[in-house]
This record gives sequence, structure tokens and C-alpha cells, in this order.
Amino acid sequence: MFVALDAASVSGGTGARSGGGFRLASHARVSLGEGALVPAPFAPNVVRPGEVADALRALARSLRIGDAPVCLLLPDGMARLALLEVPADVTPQEYARFRIVPGLPYPAAEAVIDVLPVGPGRAVVAAARRGVIEGYEAVADQAGIVQDRLDLTPLAALSALLREPGDAVGLTVDVILGDAALCLAAHQGGRLRTLRNRRRDPGPDEPGRLAEEIQRTAALAGDGAAPRVRVVGAGARDLLARWRVAGGTAEPGWRSEDAAGVEISELAWVGGAGA
Amino acid sequence: MGGRGGGLSQERDFSTRPRRRAARPVDLALLALGVAALLVSLYATASAARSLQRARARVDEARAETQAAQARVRELEARREPAQAVAYQALLTTEAPPPRVLADLVALMPGDVRLDAVSLSYADPLSLRVDVVARSASSYDLFLDRLQRSPRFTDVLPGEENRDGELRTSIQMAYRPL
Repeated sequence: MFVALDAASVSGGTGARSGGGFRLASHARVSLGEGALVPAPFAPNVVRPGEVADALRALARSLRIGDAPVCLLLPDGMARLALLEVPADVTPQEYARFRIVPGLPYPAAEAVIDVLPVGPGRAVVAAARRGVIEGYEAVADQAGIVQDRLDLTPLAALSALLREPGDAVGLTVDVILGDAALCLAAHQGGRLRTLRNRRRDPGPDEPGRLAEEIQRTAALAGDGAAPRVRVVGAGARDLLARWRVAGGTAEPGWRSEDAAGVEISELAWVGGAGA
Repeated sequence: MGGRGGGLSQERDFSTRPRRRAARPVDLALLALGVAALLVSLYATASAARSLQRARARVDEARAETQAAQARVRELEARREPAQAVAYQALLTTEAPPPRVLADLVALMPGDVRLDAVSLSYADPLSLRVDVVARSASSYDLFLDRLQRSPRFTDVLPGEENRDGELRTSIQMAYRPL
């Protein structure tokens, strides 16, 4: 069972990999008022805890969570993400402390670090501020949700996307959309080559800007030619539609076989179900 | 500081507090074992407490019985009737007539010790008071020593001594017919 929080909504459910996509056993989404939750790396994210807790309670009722422990998924934009080449004689966490933590805008003692291994000697590391995480844990507790583990939505999605890398020859750029931030991950032959993390700026111009970001990401990965593009997360359906109108080619990061009425590519947290 | 999980763990966890983990069969088995041990120890404790309580009750009961018996003895002694006392005196007179008591006493006397007076009181016990004259202190001491070692004479209590020349004193004692 997963519960994901982001700026615009809380959502969650259960799902599992099924063939080339995911099968949702349950899903629910409850909208949040603007400004109730603001993903950010430094300041407390849960601005209006009562409102967020109410939304979580409604979600829990809808999903019939009860006392079942859930995996909380925190949104993109609240953690520092980086792709690191990790020396052989050190763990990714230790190396992240050396490379990432000194540049964080808060004391090193407040950094909570975990990693997504992406092959020999490479890992995506994420560092989040303890106080920020505690805000999410507190509001989940306030809503009566029993927390199991706690992950980041972009890492859960990236993990699932990298397990289905597709064409081994060409470059793929995966776009993982959150309400407040997005990730661009370029990989080839199952090897992650570039990871970029950007704040979102929703508006009419966003599809064009994102297309340019994708080209820059592909160039950074060493292949500026038309890469395969996959999109998951908040606004994926609209983005794909607008790119299609503009003549672009992109596809959903994952599909569902039976998710009637649910555009599963909009749900980045579903990647956690494929772990 | 920092996250948990091994370097290549797929189970990321950014929780700031310990993760609630589902109980495994071995956890449940250990829990059951612990509960069983607790129950056994509770039973043993309760059992020991009950035994202690029973032992204390027996001690109290025995103490009460002893006190009751002692009280009964005191009561019986107090209730001894005059007829019983007379019968006992008659018995003593038979078993310990004055010649026999005197003979037993004289048998213990050294040669330079003599009796000036003897009085017998036939009660329970038969008590004697003798006035003694000894030519030397050592003879008197020898006489006292013999009296104290004799099984027939008990509760020997020497009186004040006059050691001007001959030693004169009196001795109280009890006679026990064997």
C-alpha cells in the first residue's frame, strides 16, 4: 500500500507489475488546496497540517487502509538528487556525505540520505532535511496512518522505469513529473548516464521548455539525436497530448491493462509497486 | 544522521524513526516462548507464595499450640490439689527418708568437715539446709565440689562464709531421690 503526497493532492493505492505495465488493485486521490503543501528542501513543507491530515484521512477511508502499514512517498522538490560515480572502497551513502552534504543549505547532521543503486559503481543519492521529513511523518501520524517505510516518489518511479529500459541501442530520456519539480533521466542500455532535477513552472510554455530540457539532457548524456522519451507523473497526459499536437513523439512511462478511468501514467508513485 | 539501509538496498527508507516491521514467524515463536516462560515463572512464584503462606500458617499454629500447652501446664500446676501435695510428700518420705538423705550427705563430707545442723523440707523438691564447720577452707571447697558433682544434690547454694579460724557457713541444696 502506497500513499503519495504532493502539492496538489494526496493519492495512493496498491498495484503490481503486470506484463508490460501495472495493474492497479486500488487507487484514490484527494485534492489539496493551493499552498497547503509546498515541496521544498529547506522550509517545512506541510504548511497547513490540518488540511493535509484531513485529505489523508479521506484517502485512508477511501482505500480502507485501516491499521495496515503504508509506504509513504514524498514529492519531488524536497530532496537533493544526484547521480554519483561511487569509488569501490566506499558506500554510496558515505560518498554522498562527502560529495553532496557539504553543499546542502542546512547542517550535515540534519541530512537523511539514501540511495538508488543504478549499476556497478553508480547510484542516485538523495539527501533530505530531517525536519522536512518529520513534517510529513507527523501529518501522516495525525491522520492515523501507520507508516512503514518512507521513499521519494521520483526515486520509486525512476527505479521502475530503469527496470524496463527498452531499446538497448538508443538513448531514452525519462521525464518524471511532480507537482512542484521534475526529474529528467537519460539512460542507454540500462545504464543511467544523466540525471537532472528541476523546479516546474506550469503554464502554456511548459511543454516547449520541457522539450528543450529533454534535448539538453540528451546532449549531456552524449547523444543529441532524437531520443526516446517517456513521461510519468502529474500532468503527463496533457503534456503528451500537447507534444503530439506539436509533432513530437513521446510515450507514457507505463500503461495499465485494466485501470478503467485512471490514466496510470499520471501516477508516478505506481513505480514503487514494481519494486 | 543519515539514512538506513545497505549500500545497494532496494528498500530505501528515509524515515526518521524506527520502521515498524511485520512480525516474522520466528518473532512470533520467540514471543510465544517468552509469554510461556512468563506464565511458568508467574505460576512458580504464586506456588512459592502459597507454600510460604502455608508454612507460616503451620508455624503460627504450632506456636499457638505450644502456648496453649504451656498455659495448660501452668494451669494444671496452679490447680494442684492439697491431696496431691500430701501424696507427693508421702512418696518423698518413702523414697528419701531422713536417714538416707543424711547418709548420702555424710558420704560426701571430707574427714575435717562436720555438720552442726541439718533441716529437711519435704516439698517439691526436697530441700536441705545444713550448717557446716570445716577445719580448713580447702576441705570446705572439696565438700562443695563433691556436692556439685553429685547427682543426688542439685541447686547447691553456699551461704556466707566465716573464715575466722574454723570455716563456718551454711549451704542450701535440693535432694533428688534416684
